[in-house]
Amino acid sequence: MEGFAIAWVALTTTTAVFAAFAGVAWGMLGGALPGISPSITMALLLPFTYTMDPIPAIVLLASTYVGAEYGGSIPAILIRTPGTNAAAATAIDGYEMHLQGKGGEALGLSLISGVFGGLIGILCLILLTKPLASVALYFTPPAYFSLGILGLSVIASLSQESVVKGLMAGVIGLMIATVGTDPVSGVNRFTYGAPELLAGIPFILVMVGVFAVSELLIQAGQPDQRVQTDRRQLRIVLPSFRRFRRLLKPQLIGSGIGLFEGCMPGAGGTVASFMAYNEAKRWSKNPEKFGKGSDEAIVAPEAANNTVAGSAIVPVLSFGIPGSNSSAVLLGGLLIHGVQPGPLIFDQHPDIIYGLFGGLLIANVSQLIIGILLLTPAIWLVNRPKPYLLAAIYALIFSGIYSIDNTLFDLYLVLIAGATGYVMRRLGFPFLPLVLGLVLGYLIEANYRRSLLLTSGEHRVFFEDPISLGLLIAAALLIIGSAIRDRRTLKKQQLTTDNDKTV
Amino acid sequence: MLFAAVVYWFEANKIPISPLDGLVGADGLPKSLAYVLAGLSLLLIVRGINDTKIRLRSDLADPDETGSISDWIKPHLRAAGMLAIGVVYLLLLPWLGYTIAIAALLLAVSIYNGAKFNLHTILVAVIGAAFCQLLFVQFLGIALPNGELIDQIIGHF
Repeated sequence: MEGFAIAWVALTTTTAVFAAFAGVAWGMLGGALPGISPSITMALLLPFTYTMDPIPAIVLLASTYVGAEYGGSIPAILIRTPGTNAAAATAIDGYEMHLQGKGGEALGLSLISGVFGGLIGILCLILLTKPLASVALYFTPPAYFSLGILGLSVIASLSQESVVKGLMAGVIGLMIATVGTDPVSGVNRFTYGAPELLAGIPFILVMVGVFAVSELLIQAGQPDQRVQTDRRQLRIVLPSFRRFRRLLKPQLIGSGIGLFEGCMPGAGGTVASFMAYNEAKRWSKNPEKFGKGSDEAIVAPEAANNTVAGSAIVPVLSFGIPGSNSSAVLLGGLLIHGVQPGPLIFDQHPDIIYGLFGGLLIANVSQLIIGILLLTPAIWLVNRPKPYLLAAIYALIFSGIYSIDNTLFDLYLVLIAGATGYVMRRLGFPFLPLVLGLVLGYLIEANYRRSLLLTSGEHRVFFEDPISLGLLIAAALLIIGSAIRDRRTLKKQQLTTDNDKTV
Repeated sequence: MLFAAVVYWFEANKIPISPLDGLVGADGLPKSLAYVLAGLSLLLIVRGINDTKIRLRSDLADPDETGSISDWIKPHLRAAGMLAIGVVYLLLLPWLGYTIAIAALLLAVSIYNGAKFNLHTILVAVIGAAFCQLLFVQFLGIALPNGELIDQIIGHF
C-alpha cells in the first residue's frame, strides 16, 4: 500500500505519465523498423534522458522497451520481416493471417496478448524484486566482487559463438572501465593527457556505439530486402472476450516461459518467444494449424516476449546484473541518474522504483490506445526507403550524443565504439559481456581492492566468505560447463566432417 | 587480441605508483586483465588452428569463404565509408555549423546508401535538417555549434 502511494505521488508530480506514453510510441516506431532492436531504440533515446528528471527518464526507457516488443510484430505480420528478433516467431503465422486478409485481426491479437504478457511481467517485477534485493543485504565486499565475476561468467558462458569469445569481450569491457582516474589512489590511467578521459569513458557512449552505430555500419553493407506493404486502410481488430478466453491457455504458456526466461541472464525475448511457440503447439488442440495462420501461434510468442520486458528488469534492480541488451541499456539509464541497483535501492530511491512500476503499468495499458493510433504512421515508417532511415538514425545519434557534454570528443568516441562493435560482430564476439564488463568494472575492482585492504592482502578472503565462495563456485561451474559444451560441439563438427570425407 | 594484450600490459606498466595505493596498485587490475586476455587469445588461436586442420582434412571450404574476396570485402568497405562520412561530418561541424552540416550528413548518407541524387533527396535532407534544428536546438535547447562560417557571415553583415 505504501508503495502504491509512493508510485501515485511519483507519477502525479512528474512528467512520468507523459514519458510512459512517449516511450511506448517511440518504442513501437523503433521496433517496427526491421534491424532496429529494442536495445537500439532505447540506446538512441539514452542521451536525451541525461538532462531529464530521474523518474520520467527511467519510465521513458522502460516504456520504450515495452513498446518496441509490440512494434516488432507490425512488420512481422505485414511484410514477414520481424522488426525485432523476438517477433520472428510471430512472423510465421502472423503473415499467413495477413495473406488470408486477416492482418488487422493478427495485429489485434498481437496487441492484446502483448498487454496481457506485459501485465504479468510487471506483476512478477513487483513481487520478486524486493525479496531478491533483500538477499543482497548480506553481501560483503568479497561477495560483491564475486557477484561481478559471476555476472560476467553467466553472460560470457551463454555466448552463442564460444565461451572464450564471450570471456574476451567481458575482459575488454573491464579494460575500457580502467580508463580514467583510479578510484582508490587517484592516479590517472590510460588518459594520455586528455582531460575528457579523466572521468573514464562513459558507458553511454560505448552502448550507443556498439548497439546503434555498429548496426548502421552492418546495414550499410546489406542491400534493402524489405518488401513494401500495401497502404490500403488497415485497422486493428481486437479479439472478442470469448476469443480472448479461448486463447488464455497459450497466453499463459507464453507468459510462464517469459517469466522464467526474463529472469535468466542471456536468454531474452527471442528464446522465450520461440519456446512459447513450440510449447503452445505441443499443448494445442489444433497443432496442425500452426504455420498456417493460427491465432494461438501469435498470442503465445507475443505474450512471452512482452512478459520478458518486465521480468528481465528483476535481476537489474535486485543485483545490478542485466540479462539482456535492453536491460543493460536500462541499467545504464539508472546509473546515469545515480541510482545504484541492489538491496538499498528501495530505501534510497523508493520514488524511482515505485514510479518505474507505476509507469510500466501505464505503459502497458496505453499500448492498446497507442497501438491503434500509431498503426498508420508505423506502416508509413516501415515503407520509408532504407537510405533515408539510415541517414535519420545517424543524425539522431550525433545530435543526441552531443547533447550530453556539448563536446565533439564524445562523438569521436562513439564512432570508435561503433567501429569496435562492428569488428566484434563480424568476428562473432558478443556485445553484452563487453557492456557488462564496462558497467561492472568499478564494482569488481573497488570491491577486490577493498577486500584485500581489509585482510592485509589475503586472497583467501574470497573463499572464506560463504556467499563469495558460493558465487565463485557457480561462476567456475558455468565456465567449465560451457567449455565442455564448446568442446563437444567442436568434436561433433569434427565427426561430421570425417563422416563426410568417408562418404 | 594477443598483440592488444601485450600493448595493454606495457601501457599498464607505465601507470605511476602512488603512496595512496593499497596492497594492489592502480596497475594491479589492468595487468591481471592483460594476462587473462593473453591467455584467452592463445586459447582462441589454438582453437583456430584446430578448426583449420579439420577443414583441411575434410577438404571443405569455410562457408564464409566460398565467395570471392571482393564479395567478402565489399560490406566492410561500405561500413568504412559510413564511418568516414561520420568523421567528415565531425570535422566540418565546427566550421559549417549544425544545420548545414546535418543537412550535408543526411544527403551524403542517403546517397551513399543508394538514394538518387535528385531534388527529392535534396529536399528530404533540407527538411530533415530543418526538423533537427527545430527539435534539438529550438525545442530541446541543445547548444549545437553555430559554425565559424555562419558567425563570419553574420559578422560581415
